[in-house]
Amino acid sequence: MQDLLYFLQQLINGLTIGSTYALIAIGYTMVYGIIGMINFAHGEIYMIGAYTALIAITGLAALGIAWLPLILIVALVCAMIVSSSMGWAVERVAYRPVRGRHRLIPLISAIGMSIFLQNYVHLAQGSRNIGFPALIEGGFRFGSEDSFQTSISYMQITIFATTLICMSLLSLFISRSRIGRACRAVSQDLGMASLLGIDTNRIISATFVIGAALAAVAGLLLGMYYGSIDPLFGFIAGLKAFTAAVLGGIGSIPGAMLGGLILGVAESMTSGYLSGEYKDVVSFGLLILILLFKPTGLLGKPEVEKI
Amino acid sequence: MRTSVKKLVTAVSASIALMGAGHAAAEIKIGIAGPMTGPVAQYGDMQFSGARMAIERINADGGVNGEMLEAVEVDDVCDPKQAVTVANRLVNDGVRFVVGHLCSSSTQPASDIYEDEGILMVTPASTSPAITERGYELVFRTIGLDSMQGPVAAEYLASLNPERVAIVHDKQQYGEGIATAVRDTLKNAGVEIAMFEGITAGAKDFSSLITKLRQADVDYVYYGGYHPELGLILRQAEQADLDTVFMGPEGVGNKDINTIAGDAAEGLLVTLPPSFDQQEQNQELVKAFEEKGEDPSGPFVLTSYTAVQLIAEGIEQAGSTDPFDVAEALRNGSFDTPIGTVEYDEKGDMKSFEFVVYEWHSDGSKTPVN
Repeated sequence: MQDLLYFLQQLINGLTIGSTYALIAIGYTMVYGIIGMINFAHGEIYMIGAYTALIAITGLAALGIAWLPLILIVALVCAMIVSSSMGWAVERVAYRPVRGRHRLIPLISAIGMSIFLQNYVHLAQGSRNIGFPALIEGGFRFGSEDSFQTSISYMQITIFATTLICMSLLSLFISRSRIGRACRAVSQDLGMASLLGIDTNRIISATFVIGAALAAVAGLLLGMYYGSIDPLFGFIAGLKAFTAAVLGGIGSIPGAMLGGLILGVAESMTSGYLSGEYKDVVSFGLLILILLFKPTGLLGKPEVEKI
Repeated sequence: MRTSVKKLVTAVSASIALMGAGHAAAEIKIGIAGPMTGPVAQYGDMQFSGARMAIERINADGGVNGEMLEAVEVDDVCDPKQAVTVANRLVNDGVRFVVGHLCSSSTQPASDIYEDEGILMVTPASTSPAITERGYELVFRTIGLDSMQGPVAAEYLASLNPERVAIVHDKQQYGEGIATAVRDTLKNAGVEIAMFEGITAGAKDFSSLITKLRQADVDYVYYGGYHPELGLILRQAEQADLDTVFMGPEGVGNKDINTIAGDAAEGLLVTLPPSFDQQEQNQELVKAFEEKGEDPSGPFVLTSYTAVQLIAEGIEQAGSTDPFDVAEALRNGSFDTPIGTVEYDEKGDMKSFEFVVYEWHSDGSKTPVN
């Protein structure tokens, strides 16, 4: 019984962290799906989202506003607006001018953007770890008082629920809306879509904006869940989310979700049953295995040669 | 026209050369190398504040053998690669005495360069024993060793008769070194070590580790590392209702842990150098810091002050600015400093250095427990 409770606890830990990987991974996977480039600055967009949310929360606290739902909504909206404009601006400044050139050029431009944003926040906000208030506290627990109890906090539930809602909305948006249909068309064939009268520049911008908005949601949630942010934390999270996107099949939205969850659970199980030291060894080992045996990722479609 | 320009250029460059020469003769450059930015910059602040104060006061008293001290400050971000870069920059600048670095993992590679180039280094904060174990002639410190701090922590833990203790570290030279020293001492005292595990420095998610600690049902957790990670562990542990007492080395003992951990920092045990700023003989110096609007209570402020003072006194006693002569003078002398009487052994370690166990509070203050 106790072993089962322990397993459940590690599963909950893994699913929580996995769903935030998934939220960030969407940004990588959508951009790759549409223009076939890897947006390395995406982790920084997520970090900027977390900083914006913290600034909004601090500002509201200074104004004496203590009603939790209002704080959360204002922080979320601010973070999404700033991150989305950042995502849009990054695309305009660093990627659009080099689009269509050799593959390496946008990639290097993206790495440059990532370093630029990291250092910008470094200068603007300082390099120290800043504490992030835990706004949602408490939770449920299962199991008898005197032995191991499985607990699931309201924060974990919030993270999981928010991810599910965002993912469902995104899927609906992609499959039903006009822009969503255009997105799919552009990802199938950019040249053809533009011949058929789709404003491809606008669609590509929309992709960056959507990815950045989801990253901002993840930034707010993870800031509250972990408790501190620093200018470098987007880089590590971005790396993990990118791994999740590749694991699930880069270009595929359900793949990003699946990849994120698998990665999160693999990490927490490794630290739970082996040792935290092997966490990254196992998750990146998993990635290499999948790339060896299924190079397109779990849910990725094999690339069709275009004639 | 052409000749006059040429003459002008020659005259200007000659005067610059002369100025440079005059400059070098009157001043002794002291390199201060530590993290001005990055996750542990608050420790760097302590180091720079202490060293600057010492340089100011020595210069106000007429300098060293009539020569003024000049600070050359560099930022190593507590990153080993960056430490090597800034060490080379100090070499280029003609610096022959360095106060630094702060993080053991930076001090170690930088000291290779200093030793090769004949530069004397005094670290005010690096506690890894490995730094002075390589038979280097020019490496000194004004702080104790992990091998002194670890046992103090472990003996205190053992005196509480715990059933099981878990030890966690950040896999870096400093954190793992001290965690190993704690583990070995606890084992000798017959305490059961339930867990000895590393985490990744810079990680944010410790939920799996905390679940594991809850499962292991430990009485105490010793953490070897710095405050950004321990702050998060404390906070996430409180949220998960993990009921144990945490203990850490001086790397976790600064007020920033409170901004991350909040109330969860209450009751944390920390081994620190004694509060030199509370001691009778330092009150005049403490006032000087306060007049400048600086806080002398950080663990590395007065050790950095002392590092500069030792270099100055070493130069005076040796009657020379040759680092090898100064090193010789430091090894043979006995110095009266804000951190007590300093005497060095052959390796460059202080013959004695005391660590005290403190209980940390959620407002950032601390009280000694033994």
